[in-house]
Amino acid sequence: MKHLITVAILVVLGTLGVHAGLGTLGLLPEQASLQAIAVDKLLDVHLWLISFLFSLIVMTLAYSLAVFRRRKGETGEGAHMEGNTTLEIFWTMIPLLAVVFLAFIGAASLGEIRRIDPSALQVNVLAGQWYWQYQYPEYGIVSTELYLPVDRQVNLQMTSNDVIHSFWVPEFRVKQDLVPGQTTELRVTPNMVGEFRVLCAELCGTSHAYMESAVFVVTEEDFAAWVESQQSTAEVDPLLLGQQLVQRYGCTACHSIDGSQRTGPTWAGVFESVIPLADGTTIIADREYLIQSIINPNLHIVEGYNPNVMPSFASVLDQTQVEAIASYLETLK
Amino acid sequence: MPASPEKSSALRMGLLIFLGLAVLTALEFAMAILLAFWQLLLLVSLFKAGLVLYYYMHVSRLFEADQDADHESYAYRLATNRIGLWLFLVSDAFIFGGLLISRINLLGLTRPELNQVLGLSVTSVLLISSFFMNRAETAMAHGDRRQFIRGIGVTLFLGMLFLAGVVGVEWQIAAFGPGDGVAGAIFYAMTGFHAFHVLTGVIFLMVVLRNGLRGRYSVEKHWAVEACAVYWHFVDVVWIFFYPALYLIGTVL
Amino acid sequence: MKKFFALGLVRGLSWEIIGTALGIGFVTLVRLLIGLPAWKAEPAVVFGALLGALFFLVGVGAVDDWFKWAVGRETGEHFDDSHPGWRRYFGASLDHKVIGIQYLVLSLILMSVGGLFALIFRTELAEVQMQFLTLNQYNTLMSLHGMVMIVSILLGIAAYMNYLVPLLIGARDMAFPRLNAFSFWIAVPAGLILLSSLFLGGFDTGWTGYPPLSARAPLGMQMFFLGVSLAGFSSIFGGLNILATVIRLRAPGMTPFKMPIFVWAALATSLISLTATQLIGLSFQMVMLQRLFGMGFFDPAKGGNPVLFQHLFWFYSHPAVYVFVLPGLGLISELLPVFVRKPLFGYRWVAMSSLGIALVGFLVWGHHMFTSGMAEYLRVPFMYSTLLVAVPTGVKFFSWVGTVWRGKITFETPMLFLLASIVVFLLGGLTGPPNATVSTDLHLHDTYYIVGHFHDTMFGGYIFPFFAALYFWFPKMTGKRLNERLGQLQFWLITPSFVVLSLWMMRVGLLGMRRRIADYDAALGFEASHLVMTVAGFLIGLSLIVFFINVWYSLKKGPPAIGNLWNSRSPEWQVASPMPVHNYDQPFEVVGEPYDYGLPGSQYIRFKGEK
Repeated sequence: MKHLITVAILVVLGTLGVHAGLGTLGLLPEQASLQAIAVDKLLDVHLWLISFLFSLIVMTLAYSLAVFRRRKGETGEGAHMEGNTTLEIFWTMIPLLAVVFLAFIGAASLGEIRRIDPSALQVNVLAGQWYWQYQYPEYGIVSTELYLPVDRQVNLQMTSNDVIHSFWVPEFRVKQDLVPGQTTELRVTPNMVGEFRVLCAELCGTSHAYMESAVFVVTEEDFAAWVESQQSTAEVDPLLLGQQLVQRYGCTACHSIDGSQRTGPTWAGVFESVIPLADGTTIIADREYLIQSIINPNLHIVEGYNPNVMPSFASVLDQTQVEAIASYLETLK
Repeated sequence: MPASPEKSSALRMGLLIFLGLAVLTALEFAMAILLAFWQLLLLVSLFKAGLVLYYYMHVSRLFEADQDADHESYAYRLATNRIGLWLFLVSDAFIFGGLLISRINLLGLTRPELNQVLGLSVTSVLLISSFFMNRAETAMAHGDRRQFIRGIGVTLFLGMLFLAGVVGVEWQIAAFGPGDGVAGAIFYAMTGFHAFHVLTGVIFLMVVLRNGLRGRYSVEKHWAVEACAVYWHFVDVVWIFFYPALYLIGTVL
Repeated sequence: MKKFFALGLVRGLSWEIIGTALGIGFVTLVRLLIGLPAWKAEPAVVFGALLGALFFLVGVGAVDDWFKWAVGRETGEHFDDSHPGWRRYFGASLDHKVIGIQYLVLSLILMSVGGLFALIFRTELAEVQMQFLTLNQYNTLMSLHGMVMIVSILLGIAAYMNYLVPLLIGARDMAFPRLNAFSFWIAVPAGLILLSSLFLGGFDTGWTGYPPLSARAPLGMQMFFLGVSLAGFSSIFGGLNILATVIRLRAPGMTPFKMPIFVWAALATSLISLTATQLIGLSFQMVMLQRLFGMGFFDPAKGGNPVLFQHLFWFYSHPAVYVFVLPGLGLISELLPVFVRKPLFGYRWVAMSSLGIALVGFLVWGHHMFTSGMAEYLRVPFMYSTLLVAVPTGVKFFSWVGTVWRGKITFETPMLFLLASIVVFLLGGLTGPPNATVSTDLHLHDTYYIVGHFHDTMFGGYIFPFFAALYFWFPKMTGKRLNERLGQLQFWLITPSFVVLSLWMMRVGLLGMRRRIADYDAALGFEASHLVMTVAGFLIGLSLIVFFINVWYSLKKGPPAIGNLWNSRSPEWQVASPMPVHNYDQPFEVVGEPYDYGLPGSQYIRFKGEK
């Protein structure tokens, strides 16, 4: 009995200690959405359970090791206890009750983060190797950065151009895969103004690590201003636009601009040069060739490189954007 | 040699089960044409599979109690071998189950356009081969070597005919290739995995035929014959499910 | 030289090279004959590798007896004693103890290779930006680390099941010794093919190989799929053999609830590997077919469904983690009573909990797919079933605590590893439920939290029990004891560094570190954490080197193992070490309970002719 009481005290102290310790560590990133609040609340319940069960097992074990160890010169065997059915039923029921409890609040929590607001702002998300693109059907805007008004639910309708990607903003907590050939949905209600990062959480090939984009949560007024500015950026310098697009879509991960060797052919001095092709012929890299290589990369395969490496950007970029990139490429020496 | 009463009744039972299976297959075909009702087809398939498992594959032998405690005796090892073979079949069934689930997931209540006459023909060929396989095994168990050899020979021939029908004809005349849409992929994968099993069964039959001709099996010791029969019937059971899944369920794409 | 080529392994490898060349030539010839461009790497290499594996099996002699049976020739009964001494470990032997040790050695080799891969990319991660690996090299090493370790674990549990199960149940050998040899030897070409992906362009999908990414990855992907499919056969036939052996070859009097508890664990594990493994094989083969023949199972452009692959894949791959840990948990339950000198607390409950975990394990695969885009309503039942796993797992923990309570505990190296197993597996187990409840999993999925969580379960459920068992049974296998001091050194190196490693993984994961990324944003501030993890990783590597030194030193100079070293009640310790070739000279009969430590005069087994 003395043993049991000591262990019980140890377990209580352990539980409080572990939970307090975990709390001071700062386990999670900032809470920037309503969903994050629900997730964190459930996670804290988990942390209490973890602290308790960890202390229960480890404290009992540690106490046994310290107290029931074989002392010097001792020879006897341990107590002959084969088991205790009541005890077994008891400690089958304890986890079972915990499971039922978790199942209940788990379902409630899921309901909370999936709550649908009919007035949500719809954004269509398109991902590909290795870029994010956001379309605002209400405003006719296409952007590579995600702007969201604060305190308004956003309904992300997402699909992928090639392989599976996954939309994740750690500060929003929730995550959803983008699957080619189907549309998935994610709903977030950002509740904090700030700049965060969208990260691709599902391994999607070579440059997966760099598949990020910015997400700006802004006030209602700032959002309206941004919408307006986006709708009127028709006449931008094509060279500047081309350079921006090349950076946004990570083209330079494969194509160098200084002549060095990467996965794809270099862009240095490409314009109007004579390109040897894999089928033995050659072609002159005129503007037509540059544009085709963006829209239909497998049409001409440069000697020494493989087909089917570069995805088509036909459905990603519009006519103006392709032209802008071509203009930019023409300037590279 | 006059047939013993047990042998005659075993052969009669084999024939009866075959007739039952044939009638059910015809019924399936008719049902698919008259009323597209996949639940009914599933029930019939399950019933057919049950008949084969119980009467042709002797699943109940697994649960016969051992009288012999000597682990090294032939009888004890025979029972161990049976368990081993059945465990293998259980494992193998998961491949075919996975293919069926893929088919349901990808095609739902549609099916590829296939030649119905050919489908029914190859199904019949496989069914008849099962009948002869059972006959051969029953004959061996009762010591009738000539009937055993004949039965194995016919089964072997029908097995090759089935392969020729599926790979040689069906694959060639189908309106689509393996790369044509998901229906093509499923059709070639399901028939391909099954045909591979038929092929291994055919090789097994050849081995049994060769050793049978040399008189290596006896009434007491013919595990290879039994194993070959059980395996062959298993391949038949798989087709019992694949045939309606590919040819009968749902509407043509 | 002649003796060298007489070794089965050498013959097998030579045959494999010939087979691969023939396969490549055959495909090229066929393409030439039907008028296609003759050389296409993918079909040629895939067929070559497959044929090479089959040739290996013929060359090594693993299928000799079956060919003899097919042509109606008789073969020797059970044991092939033609190669005495160390040579028998390099050829096809039918002795389950030899095969067990072969498995063990191959498992350790693969564990070292997989660990080396981890250290390489761990070093790359220590600092922000890429230093000495390209992105593709990183992805390949990271993906291979996963699968090489999984194969290593499968071989490791096969090692213990092969070596121990017949001894524990008093059988002369496995039910199907030839199938047993086949199961081992197919793992050798499987491992080679898997590793060859490193030289064939690598692949960048992680060990899960999700299409559509895996449908467009380099040629190495095919080698990965093929290698895993072949290793799967090893697991399937191994499981089949264990099941048949346990069902059929137990000693007289050994009723189900008098079996040693490890046998229950082996039974539960084998049930899973026998059935579920076929589906990972099937899903991988479907991607192979998609790549080779354009069959569009998972290609949305052809009406395929990428999520279907994940269902097929996880239907195996979740139960697979129970394949990895159940034998380890069985080893904990098996060995704990020996060092505590007390019966296993609640034997029947522990036995049933293994089966319970195995069965519930079949119903939970969807929790890997909460974010996958599968039908939304499926998330809830999968959440419930997943949480349910906690119940039988809890029974195990409480039973261990109950066993230790009021024992007479001693702390030899195996016991230290057992205690570490319990604590580390507890960490792994307790960090599981947050992944089971959907909303928290949406944050944790695909982060380092998951990485930390499953490394805890793998180390607690496999690595630590693996070493506990090795220190315990090494004397039985070799007749030499392992050095105790080096053993303690290994323990104190590996345990703290591993705990630090896994806790740090979970911490950065919670803070936003995605898994499977070659590089991370400096702004996240994870650099110091990664440096800590890298150092911890190297300490784990160092502990393995200590272990290998220990094995080498003890084999040469270790004290001979005489008698019942650990004062165990288990039958194999009642006879000489190393185990006699034909196992027990006298068959035994079970007359009591397996773990009646502390009950004077009780007996578990009685040898024939003994009073």
